[in-house]
Amino acid sequence: MKKRDIKTGKLTTWCPGCFNYNILAGVIDVLEPMINKEELGLVTGIGCHAKIYDYLNIDGLNTLHGRTLPACLGLKIGNPNMKVIGFSGDGDSYSEGISHVIHAARYNADINLVVHDNQVFALTTGQPTSTTEPGFVDKTNPEGSKLTPTNPIKMMLGLNTSFVARAFAEREQVAYVLKEAMKHKGFSFVEIIQPCVIFHNDKGYLERVYKLEDKGHDRTNKRMAMKRAEEFDYSFNSKSKIPVGVFYQEERETFEDKYKILRDFKRKKISWKDIKR
Amino acid sequence: MRLSILFGGRAGQGPNVIATIISKILVERGCYVFLSREYESLIRGGHNYNILTVSDKEIYSNDIKYDVLIALDDKTITVHKGELNKGCIIISEKKGNMYFAGRLMKILGLEFDLLKKELKELGNFEGNLEDAKEGYLQGEKVYDFKLRKNKDGFFTGSRKIAEGAVKSGLDLYYAYPMTPATPVLSELAGMQEEHNFLAIELENEISVINTALGSAMTGAKSMVGTSGGGYDLMTEALSMSGISEIPLVVYLAQRPGPASGVATKTGQGDLNIARYGGHGEFPRVVVAPGDPIEAEEVVSQLFYLTQKYKFPGILLGDKHLSESFYTMKENAKITKSGKLTKFKRYNSYEHLPDGTYTEDPKEVERMVKLRIEKFTTIKKDVERFQMYKVYGKQNSKNVIVSWGSTKGAILDATKELNCKFIHILYLEPFPEKIKKELKGKNVIVVENNATSPLSSLISEKTQILVKNKILKYNGQPFYKEELMKEIKRKLK
Repeated sequence: MKKRDIKTGKLTTWCPGCFNYNILAGVIDVLEPMINKEELGLVTGIGCHAKIYDYLNIDGLNTLHGRTLPACLGLKIGNPNMKVIGFSGDGDSYSEGISHVIHAARYNADINLVVHDNQVFALTTGQPTSTTEPGFVDKTNPEGSKLTPTNPIKMMLGLNTSFVARAFAEREQVAYVLKEAMKHKGFSFVEIIQPCVIFHNDKGYLERVYKLEDKGHDRTNKRMAMKRAEEFDYSFNSKSKIPVGVFYQEERETFEDKYKILRDFKRKKISWKDIKR
Repeated sequence: MRLSILFGGRAGQGPNVIATIISKILVERGCYVFLSREYESLIRGGHNYNILTVSDKEIYSNDIKYDVLIALDDKTITVHKGELNKGCIIISEKKGNMYFAGRLMKILGLEFDLLKKELKELGNFEGNLEDAKEGYLQGEKVYDFKLRKNKDGFFTGSRKIAEGAVKSGLDLYYAYPMTPATPVLSELAGMQEEHNFLAIELENEISVINTALGSAMTGAKSMVGTSGGGYDLMTEALSMSGISEIPLVVYLAQRPGPASGVATKTGQGDLNIARYGGHGEFPRVVVAPGDPIEAEEVVSQLFYLTQKYKFPGILLGDKHLSESFYTMKENAKITKSGKLTKFKRYNSYEHLPDGTYTEDPKEVERMVKLRIEKFTTIKKDVERFQMYKVYGKQNSKNVIVSWGSTKGAILDATKELNCKFIHILYLEPFPEKIKKELKGKNVIVVENNATSPLSSLISEKTQILVKNKILKYNGQPFYKEELMKEIKRKLK
């Protein structure tokens, strides 16, 4: 079989200086060694993050807004041997598709969700999302956004997610966290904090970011994970730090392993398409 | 001979259990039974009832003038006292419910052992047997059925939709519970172990259809089921199935709307959302079976078409078909289909054949054209199936037209009338050929809705204006006698 190049070679249409280029580089670092060895499945939602679908030469679906996770689950149930990675954004996962995020934590299928959180609806020209800080002004909120942001890391820990991590949109960090997520057996939630160079510029992320692994954080300690998660409340009110790295990890039975037929598929390296009836 | 028995009581009292047992015995003894179920959106209390119509000839509907009334509570008598035939036998003792089964067995002239056999399948055998014996001893034989050797099955539409899907090679069925689609989920859940497929419940209908499309991409034969409200939630993804060219079979079980409507009753108000739901222009097929055997057949046709052409196919049913029991020969013709879907790059955006996004006007136009042309091919291929069926007097100037579960009552009501009956199965693509059957005739459309979307569809496709409509929209199906009266009034 012809070896597959991980890049499609399509012209990129992110803005000059967009942090999505860093994310793409980190993702390629992790997936390139796998592309001709593993069955990979790629899903993206709608938003600036989703353009990554056109640049990564991996089979899958650029799906509807908010529906990255159902498609990922469908791929995993369709072929439990597939390594499934879904990309999404703060609008995609925390607003339009929030119900799926909550249930994905409960199902614990072995899939990976990477949320590009630039704290703004960028592709629709800059409206506040559920993680935007209060006071954010745009054409739809001339008096400034009035709401308190969601803290997705706290939310995911509260939902008993089996893997919770955050990275800043910087190549090595993205690669490190994604690699850890892909190794994890179960649902991995990864949030990537990134500025939007047009609609939500750098609020001093870099001075605030520190690595959890440098502080000796124990990723099996849920209470400590929660404490670390509370350090950054997405509002930029105080000089609070932004911890990045793996907050929490716990191995437990996956969705697909609860079904005998899907366990058999994994053992025999087959899927439904091979079942002749 | 044709007689009707009503079993009524509060939810939880079990009129449904008695009615089903008696029906099974009657069918086993060679009778034809049509059994429908009316219940309310509550779990205990209220007024539930079953109508059992039995005959020595084929029947597909109920009469609502009763010859026997089994009243497990007083309300049953209050509600139905205006619907009794002369000489109707009313049984309303304060007894265990198998007492009524026993008594009815005697009235119908059936051997007690047949009931005993059925009771063994239930719990509390000793107690039930005692009650049943008491009833049997107190009963008097009134009816005498000419019994024949049974060659027929007794099943609901839901059962046959499930069996049809399994025979078509179903791999994955996804659903979120909603009446009246849930019985298919329950049937499939009960069959999954034996037949090596999975029936999975997810968090909502949006997840259901999007997950199903994810699985379908990997080559798995996938199907979803829901009712109108859930279908509305699914339509964005239905549209994605169209543009991304991922095959999917969707079961839409109608109940009266709008919104939450009448949750546990029947209706045909969703023809237009089945035909038009979802934004943008994309091909789809909509088929509405008239009975369980047709349902089994069209499920397999939908798997064949959707796998071959990679687009959504909709099976349009309703509560009446879903939950009523029909006595019919098990002779469904299953259409075989391959697993023809490859895992590749799919896209909800307009895209090039390699799955990458495009906005280039030339490419957009080319891709739209390809999908529209595909529909022309589908239209041709669909003609291999019976898109409509013709019954009754071929040369009559009166032509009744209907779709879906109204078929049974129409067949029963028109047996002795001077009319032809056209039952349309394929509503998209529409069998435009029926124009020649309708031209210059007295066309009468029968539908279980208030605005008659079929009449509009006929006008659109054949330029024939439908003036005679018989419409019922109170949540109940058509019953034989009332429909016959309505039709007679409109005959020429």
